Order: sequence, then C-alpha cells, then structure tokens
Amino acid sequence: MLDTYKNNTIQIQGRLSAWLAKHKLPHRPLGFDYQGVETLQIKSENWLSIAVALYIYGFNYLRSQCAYDVAPGGMLASVYHFTKIQDNADQPEEVCIKIFVSRESPKIPSVFWIWKSADFQERESYDMLGIYYENHPRLKRILMPDTWIGWPLRKDYIVPDFYELQDAY
Amino acid sequence: MVLNSTSYNYKNKINNSMKPLISSLSTQKNPNSIILTTLNDFSNWARLSSLWPLLYGTSCCFIEFASLIGSRFDFDRYGLVPRSSPRQADLIITAGTVTMKMAPSLVRLYEQMPEPKYVIAMGACTITGGMFSTDSYSTVRGVDKLIPVDIYLPGCPPKPEAIIDAIIKLRKKVAQETYKNNSKFQQGKRYFTLNHKFNLISINTSSLQNNKGIDSKISKSYFNSTLKDFTLTKKKENLAFVLKKKDNK
Repeated sequence: MLDTYKNNTIQIQGRLSAWLAKHKLPHRPLGFDYQGVETLQIKSENWLSIAVALYIYGFNYLRSQCAYDVAPGGMLASVYHFTKIQDNADQPEEVCIKIFVSRESPKIPSVFWIWKSADFQERESYDMLGIYYENHPRLKRILMPDTWIGWPLRKDYIVPDFYELQDAY
Repeated sequence: MVLNSTSYNYKNKINNSMKPLISSLSTQKNPNSIILTTLNDFSNWARLSSLWPLLYGTSCCFIEFASLIGSRFDFDRYGLVPRSSPRQADLIITAGTVTMKMAPSLVRLYEQMPEPKYVIAMGACTITGGMFSTDSYSTVRGVDKLIPVDIYLPGCPPKPEAIIDAIIKLRKKVAQETYKNNSKFQQGKRYFTLNHKFNLISINTSSLQNNKGIDSKISKSYFNSTLKDFTLTKKKENLAFVLKKKDNK
C-alpha cells in the first residue's frame, strides 16, 4: 500500500494481486482508489474460492458490502471492502473487491459463511438491486415490504403509480 | 436593631408571597361556591387539559419530540402524558417520514385510538413528503393521504417550541368544539378503503314481498282469534254485569 504513494506511474498490480498471482488465483487488478486501496475485479464463479483465500491471507473483517448499477442496461456490481484487523493495528492492510454480474442473471455466491456480518448487507443489496446471493441463509427483502415488486435502485426501475398514496398535490 | 428589621422584612416577604392564597380563602364568604358553565365547555376543558399523545416516532422529528418529554421543554405542564398504547391516547403526533411499509401500521394505530382523536402532522415529510416528495419509490406523500390531520406543523424538523405552539393551537381547537359539530367523528373517505356495493336483485325483493304476505296472513288470523276471545270474555262480563244488576234489584 505504501509504495503506491511513491510511484505515480501506471502501476496497477498491488501486493495482494501479486500474492494471488503467485497462488494462481484468477483475478484482474483494477488499480487503486484515491486512498491507495488496492482494487480487484473477480468473476462471480471464482468468488467463493478466492474469498476463502482472502480470509486465509488475513482479511478477517468485512468493512462494508454494497452494490450499484453500473450503467443503464449494463452490469450490476457488488463491492466488498476487507481489512486485516489485529492487536495494535496501525494502518492495516485493506482491499476492495468488485464483482460484476449481468442484470439478466445476477448470481453471486454469498460470503455469509466466511464473514457473518455480510448477512444484512447482502440482504439489502438483494432488496435494492435484485442480486441473488447464493447460499445465503435467509435471502429476503429487508427494507421494502415482502410484497414489493421490482428492484428500486436499478436504473431501469419505474416507480409504480400508487393511487392517492403517492400523488403529491 | 438591624437584625430585627431584616427578620421582619423576611417575614413580610413570606406573607406577601402567601397573601393571595390566604386572602382568597379567608375572605371567601361562601365556601360552597358554584361555578357556572356549560357541560360542553366543561368537557372540552377536561379534554384539552389532558391530551395524551401516542408515543409514535419514525425518524429525526421524534428526536425533537422526545426533547419535549424531558425537563427543559416539559410538556407534562400541558397535561401531555406520552402513552405507549393507542387505546389510551387522544392525540397522535406523526413524527417522521412515513413509508409505504409503515402506512398500514399507522392507519391501524389511528383506528385503534378512541374517539375523539386528533392528529398533528409534524415535519415536512408528513405534510407533503418533504425532501422525498419528488423522486422516492417508498415515501407516502403526506400523512393526510392516510389519516385526517387536524394541525399541520411545518419544519424539518420543527423546534420543540413549534411543537408546543401546535399543541396550544390544538387546545384552542378542542376548546371551540361543540356537540352539534360531530362531523369530525364521522369517518369520511380520507384513507383508502374499498367500497362494497351490494345490489339487491329483483328475485330477492319478490321473495321479500311473499314473506310479507305470509306474515300479514298469520298476524291477521292471530288477531282474529284474539278478537273472538275478547268478544267472548266481554259477553261473559256483560252477563255477569246483568246478573249483578239483577241481584241489586
């Protein structure tokens, strides 16, 4: 992480990417974000094995999980931020994982069984964008009513016209 | 000397502070006094001085509302005791955004409250939807789409003083109510209900008429029988009367 501050050249492979390459784990480095956190893209079908590898590497803390719609008609993205937490941690190692899936069949294996805190986060991503997290123990809507139809945060979502409840006048 | 005077002043002060109470008690000529009022005003006064609000809040407006419960903006002095059960509440202050998921619960809470009940729509979200009114998929645009609102209290969120102001205005409204003015207690079509339209079919009405005919027949026959009995008894009585008259002769 530190050497990213030193060289401003187009170096996009970080420390974790090198480690994954050494162990022949498929991934694609996406460079670094504005804080110098290494960003990796991982395919949905490889995600479960690489997630286990990351846990073994030492990323024991899921800082956040979120999802977004990349573009109208485009891919859906699920984003994970991991941190290595230990005693007396000072600037612990971080990583950002992005998984892109098609909006026709958005299926990503759930990391609930590795990081338990992914429970509600993945449920919210499912609720808002309709990404199916496979093997999640109770994947159902968390914010919207169970009877809701559609995925509100997708770009092609059309707000239903509710009689009298939604018309502001 | 000086000490005496101070002590005297102190006593005098105490007397002054107590004076109104004591004088009113001592100079009262008639201790069993009568207060003249109308029953309407009396019941209104009783109701407005114990408006119990429902402890209801869904977001940041409730933080302002909760500060009223504390000692700084003590709203117990207006007789407002927050109740956790809608069965015991007279007033609901809808503090916070109401979403489509919350709407059925809010309507149920309102319906569970006993009549007469009042609603203060607190904050921009419950008046028009507030900052969620333009492009939200889940916010109810104004709580008056669900329940009838008495007082609209604008602000985002309103200050505690503004809530007190709204409560004072509600008290004025309650004070002006009359029993004739019972239009408030008739629930209109303010919130979403399905209208059930029962249509009477012609066959039903004809059978009803048939029933009526049978009924009238039965009653007639019954009436006739009773009439016969009556005439019989009357005749007997007449006979008895005649007999008595004969005896007297």
